[in-house]
Amino acid sequence: MLFPTIDFGLFFAFSFALVWGLNSYNTLKKVVLLALSLAFYASWNWRFLLLLLASGAISYVVGLYVDAKSRRPYRRVALGLGVALDLAILGYFKYLDFFTAQVLTLAHALGLNPSIGFVNVTLPVAISFLTFHAISYIVDVYRGRLAASRSPLDIVLYISFFPHLVAGPIVRAHEFLPQLASPPRVGDFSFGENMLLILGGLFKKMVIANYLAVRFVDPVLTDPTQFSRFDLIVAVYAYAIQIYADFSAYTDIAIGVAALLGYRFPQNFNQPYRALGIGDFWRRWHMTLSRWLRDYLYIPLGGNRHGALATARNLMLTMLLGGLWHGANWTFLIWGAMHGVALVADHAWRRSAAFARFGAGPIARVVDWAATFHFVCFAWLFFRSPSLDAALQFIAGVWSDNGAPSTMPMVVLPLIACGALTQIVPSQTRGAIGAMLDDRGPLAQAALGFALLYVIVVMAPSASAPFIYFQF
Amino acid sequence: MTAPTQKPVSATNPWSWARVVYAVFALTVFCFPGGMVDWLEERNASGWLAAPLALARGVDAASAAVGAKGVGQGLRKWFAQAVGDSES
Repeated sequence: MLFPTIDFGLFFAFSFALVWGLNSYNTLKKVVLLALSLAFYASWNWRFLLLLLASGAISYVVGLYVDAKSRRPYRRVALGLGVALDLAILGYFKYLDFFTAQVLTLAHALGLNPSIGFVNVTLPVAISFLTFHAISYIVDVYRGRLAASRSPLDIVLYISFFPHLVAGPIVRAHEFLPQLASPPRVGDFSFGENMLLILGGLFKKMVIANYLAVRFVDPVLTDPTQFSRFDLIVAVYAYAIQIYADFSAYTDIAIGVAALLGYRFPQNFNQPYRALGIGDFWRRWHMTLSRWLRDYLYIPLGGNRHGALATARNLMLTMLLGGLWHGANWTFLIWGAMHGVALVADHAWRRSAAFARFGAGPIARVVDWAATFHFVCFAWLFFRSPSLDAALQFIAGVWSDNGAPSTMPMVVLPLIACGALTQIVPSQTRGAIGAMLDDRGPLAQAALGFALLYVIVVMAPSASAPFIYFQF
Repeated sequence: MTAPTQKPVSATNPWSWARVVYAVFALTVFCFPGGMVDWLEERNASGWLAAPLALARGVDAASAAVGAKGVGQGLRKWFAQAVGDSES
């Protein structure tokens, strides 16, 4: 059950009235929200509900033990055990076969033939996001940022709340759990702004991302040897727009849906292709993952507190693991390593005397933007390619031209321009229009909402591509 | 001294939100009824969705009678041709 489907539309229509109807009965409302979230997850594979509940149980028990106020002995050991259990579940489902393959490759290269088999398990939907939420809770409780919850209902609901369950944003425990303490107030949210957020997300996914994926990017990336140099280069930019439109659409809809149910999620994207420098890019792209990696990995590793070399090591480790989090494939590791090296260089450049002298001028800013944007686009090539060989084949095609004529559909360039526009429009625009809609009342809201949805349905292609981050 | 700003009732009442959400859904289904009919038909192998399917077919007929369905289909076809999407 994915967001831009009739299934989810009906599910949301049912949930919306039910949840607000129970708003005066907070505990009952949370029970219903949990049941809805479990039903949402079960729509993929009901067997993995046990995994979800197990993750909630581990978090609940470990949270009670490691609570900063409890002063129990071996709190740190219990925390380590809880994190290890969460990571073991993730490792078993997501990485075991990958590491088995690497061990077998190495063993064969050494002339050995160990009897190790693949586990061949189905990857549970949302396993990575689920693990990050679980770890966030127990670490926040250990650090005293949040009191351990006495309510297992709250913990399981935090981990499984359906708007963020499949592809984020990664909502940290201290941001979400306090919201469960009392019923939400409608007046704290702008209906107009959140309606526009959802409809904007639908447009980005159903029109921009789907057209780019189905008509151009997927065919080019599937067999780059059949396409001209021009097509290959445009495909890299098209993929940069596609992945932004696709992923930001999912989280925009998630944030909007959560707000319409009375819960606030953090922002996940802030016009990332405007970034000046890779550090700035990661403050704008998948912001909730960046903050998670910073708070639960980079800072515990030592952050920037122990000199330049240790900082570089910590940045590299964080980005390598961030890359691996996306999937068990060398392409993700290379993508993470590229960003790690770029972050180290960016970190050093911005602290240099040369940057202090030349870095703030308008020409330097243009160069900064162009270098950042093109580096990010180039790195996406490794992220998107199914294998390292495919990525190298793609680069070879750009070099040799493959001798093929350009077959790029004419719709691609307007879509790229449309995607670029999302990076330029002032970020306050939606809030301003939303506030105006709130003032105008339901008739104006319904008229604009219907008009925008009508245009999206007219423009959407019949074929669609799955959400990219759904696989992580 | 500025007067305290007060949100209109429509911005602070969930049932006002509900009216908008359901109106947008209903109007969209009325203008593009084919998707809902297909969706229900795909899931009605055992006949348990007979009543909603009959309702959806009624909406489909009403939409076709007033021309909303034809306009929606026509616009989709026109846009698909304009961007060279032969599969739409």
